[in-house]
Amino acid sequence: MARKILCVAEKPSIAKSVAQHLSGGQFNTHSIRGNTFIKNYEFDFNFNPPWGQCSVTMTSVIGHLTSLEFNEQYRKWHSCSPVRLFDAPVETEVDKDKKAIADNITAQARYAKALFIWTDCDREGEHIGAEVRQSAYKGNGTIEVKRAQFSNTERAHVIRAAHNPINLDERQVNAVSARIELDLRLGAAFTRFQTLTLRTLGGDLEDRVISYGSCQFPTLGFVVDRYFRVKQFVPENFWSIKVMHKRDDVEVTFSWRRHRLFDRASVVILFERCLTARIAKVIKLQKKPTSKWRPLPLTTVELQKLGSMFLRMDSQRVMKVAEDLYNKGWISYPRTETDSFDKGMDLKKLIEKQEQDQAWGGYATSLLRGGFRQPRSGRHNDQAHPPIHPVNFVASGSLSGDERRVYEFVVRRFLACCSEDAKGESTTVEIECGDEIFFANGLLVLERNYLEVYPYEKWNSSQPLPRFSLHETFEPTEANITEGETSPPGYLTEPELISLMDANGIGTDATMAEHIAKIKEREYVMTQPRGGGAQTNGNGNGNSGRGGRRERSGRGGAQGGNNATGSGGGSVQQFIPTTLGVALIEGYNGIGLETSLGKPFLRKEMEIKMKQICAGTKSRNDFVNETIEQYTELFVRTQQQVDVLKAACRKYVFGEQP
Amino acid sequence: MSNPSSQIATQLTTTKGLTPSPTWLTSFLTTQRPTTPLPALTQTACFRLLASDITTSLSPNPTSCFPPDIHNANVQERRLVGPIAVQVLSVEDMSKSRWEQIEAIEALERGEGTKGREIIRVAATEEGEDENAKRDGGPHKLALQDAKGTRFYGIELKGVEGVGLGMSMGCKMVLRNVVVARGVVLLEPGTTMVLGGKIEGLHKAWKEGRKAELKAAIEANERAA
Repeated sequence: MARKILCVAEKPSIAKSVAQHLSGGQFNTHSIRGNTFIKNYEFDFNFNPPWGQCSVTMTSVIGHLTSLEFNEQYRKWHSCSPVRLFDAPVETEVDKDKKAIADNITAQARYAKALFIWTDCDREGEHIGAEVRQSAYKGNGTIEVKRAQFSNTERAHVIRAAHNPINLDERQVNAVSARIELDLRLGAAFTRFQTLTLRTLGGDLEDRVISYGSCQFPTLGFVVDRYFRVKQFVPENFWSIKVMHKRDDVEVTFSWRRHRLFDRASVVILFERCLTARIAKVIKLQKKPTSKWRPLPLTTVELQKLGSMFLRMDSQRVMKVAEDLYNKGWISYPRTETDSFDKGMDLKKLIEKQEQDQAWGGYATSLLRGGFRQPRSGRHNDQAHPPIHPVNFVASGSLSGDERRVYEFVVRRFLACCSEDAKGESTTVEIECGDEIFFANGLLVLERNYLEVYPYEKWNSSQPLPRFSLHETFEPTEANITEGETSPPGYLTEPELISLMDANGIGTDATMAEHIAKIKEREYVMTQPRGGGAQTNGNGNGNSGRGGRRERSGRGGAQGGNNATGSGGGSVQQFIPTTLGVALIEGYNGIGLETSLGKPFLRKEMEIKMKQICAGTKSRNDFVNETIEQYTELFVRTQQQVDVLKAACRKYVFGEQP
Repeated sequence: MSNPSSQIATQLTTTKGLTPSPTWLTSFLTTQRPTTPLPALTQTACFRLLASDITTSLSPNPTSCFPPDIHNANVQERRLVGPIAVQVLSVEDMSKSRWEQIEAIEALERGEGTKGREIIRVAATEEGEDENAKRDGGPHKLALQDAKGTRFYGIELKGVEGVGLGMSMGCKMVLRNVVVARGVVLLEPGTTMVLGGKIEGLHKAWKEGRKAELKAAIEANERAA
């Protein structure tokens, strides 16, 4: 009798494709009791020594199996003072709706020699792997535990992963478990406190949950911050000087090196001196080759930003679609920080697969016939996943609308990465008129290269400049003072918000979209198309949403509901805080904590410390204790000055004059 | 041998373009030990002058001050030989909107700065501000004052080293062969030498009042529009 190995993936779709690849298509499918999505696939596979030929059961979980909860006596909202939640005992429980899945793993582990974990290779996936291990130990205390390292479900890659298992990374498991504990404690303490306190104000606040999350609040903070910048903005006049000259029937406008000044009198004086000088002299004439760089390999943050810019989908929708494409084996794992391809990767082989496409197949062929360039390398590498790239070809007809657009974007971006930069020639003419310097630029695009396949970027030739020679003098046809007015910044758009979150360490590339969705759902912010009327969305479906992965368990059609907004719209969405959103941030900023909960600093610190845990330079306990201590202090201060928070709500939510 | 007072005056006039008034010099010398060698005395005098208010410390000779009709906007251009010593009463960066500057001041008041898109915590120390000041664009517009107390504006025609939002109020400059256009002095490296120095009270008041000044300037412009 062959040995048995139990394999567990993070989602059913991955289990199925891994089973297909390892078995060569020959496997038996068994349903499990109590869950219609999970299947057990049975087949044989010849692993590397010491395992050899084994019978395999491949199954999966659906995201996290367990959650952390307070002990029974602390669960009711009025059961204790919220501050107790910072140190109240907690326990890990298998989620009610995951019970059947956990039982299946326990049962399957009983006769298995080893457990191979096939969860996604990131921090969260590592923790899910540990949850799977826990369930397996229940059935078999001596089962050996290994982990497959993979980042897409392409056949050769999967088989290589099966042959080269590694160990679970306990540090990553610890980092996530610490985060889960802190999210639970901080979230519950502040959520209960502010909900119960603000409830007493009545009205609209009487029966809603006013949740707090250590990522949610700084995210909201960015939106509120920009809102005030827009509201408080005061326009100002500025002045500039323009010099025009007509030659060879071309009218050239020279712009002022000083760009613009906010002092009219000074501009008038400088302008008069230009007029007095009358003659302009060419002081610099430069023609030089220029290029527009092909894009860097695609990361998650970039996909989310560009998705809302070019594809008009909100970040959550883009990620959902990308994840579906990954589950089906069309693209690589879409959660990655890496923006450089490993030198050993056979990119040409991936390009080959795209040759059959109607739209970009010809371009792919031209790359293979000599156009190919090794992609540029960015500076980020998460050491786990390559940049997002197409793994297999899929005809656009067999994809849904949004899938098609995201797939097309990923492919075009990939082909663009493997192309030559666009080439052109830029001309600069600089003239001096009295003491003032003016310039005109011209651009001639010579080779479009990557732009041929990447319509998301524009680079066009300008009107050609007439001939000038160095040191020549001429009398300009005309010179003018122009006047303009500064305009307010726009409300925050999703790409901007993602950039801010990214730069300030709020959430990871894997969770940013969720935080944004959460503040919409809580009605702290509204979205509206740029230049349109506001629209509220999401009406709080009451999902407590702790433990990142719950919302993105990627089980095909079973999810859905959450993503009603954002896909169809015509323009970029911008965020406007609701009165409640403004009141919360202004309230906390007003309390005079050294670092307000609405600012990104505290969360950034947490993120850094999680990385330290992963690097082995900090222990889980130190991290949890330090953070709890820090937030307990903030909590006590907030309690003492709760009137400030209430006053902000009265002012903004109820419109009362102080 | 002539008295130290006139020797110091001559020395400072020729090397720095600063002509201390006899009264100031006399009172300065009473604070110094008579045994102090002359070069050291001169140096101390120079240092004190830079920290003084030139309307009381310098001699208001006609050639070292601006002519009374300096503000006459009908004069398109004239050149003044000087050297004329002036002190800086205020400075602004004409390339930035006042609102943009107010926002930056307020962020600093909250202890925040930006590094690219990242919001960083900064302590409002002198060094921190100098860091910010180094990056400002210009050209700058300066309110200046000569020894006679006449006030006028100067603008940077070309960038002058030492001129910027980070400079101290009361800072002394010497102008030689400088061009005045429509009542405004045009500052260039060739004509403008920044000597440095600071008047403590003036600097403090300028710094504390800067945000209010910027706001007032915006309102004044709005009314004018």
